[in-house]
Amino acid sequence: MRGPDIQWYVILSAILFSVGALGVMLRRSPLIILLSVEIMLNSANLLLIAFSRLHGREDGQIFAISVMAVAASEVVVGLGMIVALGRRNIDLDVDKLRTLRG
Amino acid sequence: MNAAAWTCLLLPLASTVLITLGGTRISRRLAGYISTATTMGAFVAAVVAFVQLLGKDADDRIHLTTSWTWLSAGPYHFGFTLLTDQLSVVMMLVVAGVGSLIVAYSVGYMDGDDEERRYFAYMSLFVFSMLLLVQGGNLLLLLAGWGMVGLSSYLLIGYHQDRPSAVAAAKKAFVMNAFGDATMALALFLLIAHTGKLGYADVFALSPHGGTVANLIALGLLGGAVAKSAQLPLHTWLPDAMEGPTPVSALIHAATMVTAGVYLIVRCHPLFENAYVIEDLAAGLGAATLLMAGLIALVQTDIKRVIAYSTMSQIGYMFVGAGLGAYPNGMFHLMTHAFFKALLFMAAGLAIHAVVGEQDIRKLAGIGKLMPFTKIVFLIGSLALVGVFPFAGFFSKDSILAAALAHGWYGDVIFAAGIVGTFLTGVYAFRLFFIVFTGEPSAFAREHFHAHHGKEGPLSMRWTVGVLAALSVIGGFLQFAPFWHPLSTWLEPVAAPIAEPSNAQEWLASGVALAVGLSGVWLAWAIYSANRIKAPAPVKLFERKFYWDELYDLAWYRSSDLVTRGLSTIVERPLIAGSMSAVSGAFGLGSRELSVAQNGLVRTYALALASGLAVLTVVFLAAR
Repeated sequence: MRGPDIQWYVILSAILFSVGALGVMLRRSPLIILLSVEIMLNSANLLLIAFSRLHGREDGQIFAISVMAVAASEVVVGLGMIVALGRRNIDLDVDKLRTLRG
Repeated sequence: MNAAAWTCLLLPLASTVLITLGGTRISRRLAGYISTATTMGAFVAAVVAFVQLLGKDADDRIHLTTSWTWLSAGPYHFGFTLLTDQLSVVMMLVVAGVGSLIVAYSVGYMDGDDEERRYFAYMSLFVFSMLLLVQGGNLLLLLAGWGMVGLSSYLLIGYHQDRPSAVAAAKKAFVMNAFGDATMALALFLLIAHTGKLGYADVFALSPHGGTVANLIALGLLGGAVAKSAQLPLHTWLPDAMEGPTPVSALIHAATMVTAGVYLIVRCHPLFENAYVIEDLAAGLGAATLLMAGLIALVQTDIKRVIAYSTMSQIGYMFVGAGLGAYPNGMFHLMTHAFFKALLFMAAGLAIHAVVGEQDIRKLAGIGKLMPFTKIVFLIGSLALVGVFPFAGFFSKDSILAAALAHGWYGDVIFAAGIVGTFLTGVYAFRLFFIVFTGEPSAFAREHFHAHHGKEGPLSMRWTVGVLAALSVIGGFLQFAPFWHPLSTWLEPVAAPIAEPSNAQEWLASGVALAVGLSGVWLAWAIYSANRIKAPAPVKLFERKFYWDELYDLAWYRSSDLVTRGLSTIVERPLIAGSMSAVSGAFGLGSRELSVAQNGLVRTYALALASGLAVLTVVFLAAR
């Protein structure tokens, strides 16, 4: 296998995932949270593709493509909601959007 | 023979199927014609079977044909067996013969009703069920027919389903009959346990003689007979059953179905002879019923109810005959009773039809002047009912009373009851006749009477009543015990009597019964027509029908109501309902407490997810 060893991919993926997870947990802007979720998804994609190459099989890549499709639709819905919030002049702050609580 | 028996059985069934499946493609009138034609066809087939039997030797007249094995259960096999013998052929003739007259009468009586098709489908179903009952070659088929006549009776009593009283009466009849069906089924279970068979000949040969088992078997069968024939103590459904249309009362609740109990006793007489206590009990119940029904009939004001009580009373006579072992006499009375009681109901139906459904004798009073034909046929029916020579009842009822004389002291007691019953019959029958058919028409009758094209009713109603009137006059001459007795001779091989009165006893019974019956008629005339004697005030006990309904209400309804209420307060509310609300309360509380965690902050959820994942990871790593 050409290129770096598998460990590097795993480490990079772990870093990306942690960055994304922290972004989801710490930031308040829904836009940033959405971006962080994308980062998490892509870290998983990176891992999938890396192992797929390591083992010389295609299923991981196929799975990565479907993850991308899911991510794209999620962005559509998420951005749509954010635009709708913006149009109604609602603060883009997830801590203030807490109507759904027990 | 087999072809004739099968035709007789299946024609009415074919009519039911045809009318039911035909629906609105068959006109209402055509449905009536189909039903009439098939019942008459069944009668013709019964006549053919009878003639074929006549052509055989006396000891070669019992024909049993098994068409296929109907039920198999382990070592037990029960065939779909038809029995054509002397007894079943007599019943086939009565059922199909009187049945076809009554169905033909219905064509006129039900004309203009909204649901004639349903009516005629039910009628044909009833005729089929009754024929199955009498033609079935084993006790299982008998029970099947027994249940099915109960069903068709239920359907026809509740025919006016928009009338709550009719629906209630139908339910009452069905439940009381179901009680009898159950005791009969228990008797069959005992028979299967002790003989393994249900065919008549096998059962008669193998069933135990005497002892508890024989008594229980006979008692179970008697329970079925008593419920179906409206004898004490299961009689309260019959008067209420008068909610059905009048031809139904004539066919089911006078001529055929209610006499099935007598047929059962005669058919299974070896089983009853093995348990003579029960056979005596049957005669005793019959005697008690005929007295009680006669007393109640004295004070009823509904024309059909009076006739219904008289039916109970007359079946009481048949039970006396069958219970005392005078089987041919019981069957003979069954036959003549079918003629004159159907006649009474149908003549009453003519009157009811002419005044658009009124049944109260005080309102119908004096209608005889407007309806001379009805008056005459009703008079014929009443005379036959009281047993005045030469009408049918004279020959059949008196031979039963004579048989009672030939039965020791027990028979003498029953004879006395029967004689009192004859007096009561004379009074109530002619009370009805004098009130309704003689004197000046009441204002109500004058106002509501409407002639049918100048006649007293449609042609179909008049000719059938005429035929039955003729039969009520001449039918009795079939058998006059001191001189000739073809019916007894005919039934000898299947129902040999164990009580045979001497000629002297016959004459004595006839003479006394005739004198007493006529004195009853005289009393009715003196009170209700000539006004020589002031009418006594109605006795409360008779008006309330000896409080049987109240007794059953107390014994079954109120007691179970009490038990249910008790269980409800002691068990249901504290234990079951209480534990349920405790469980639901616990869940409600828990969920309210837990819902605090759902605080609406997305970041908290994300943190919970991440920490949950972390815990899982640690657990998996540790477990490995």
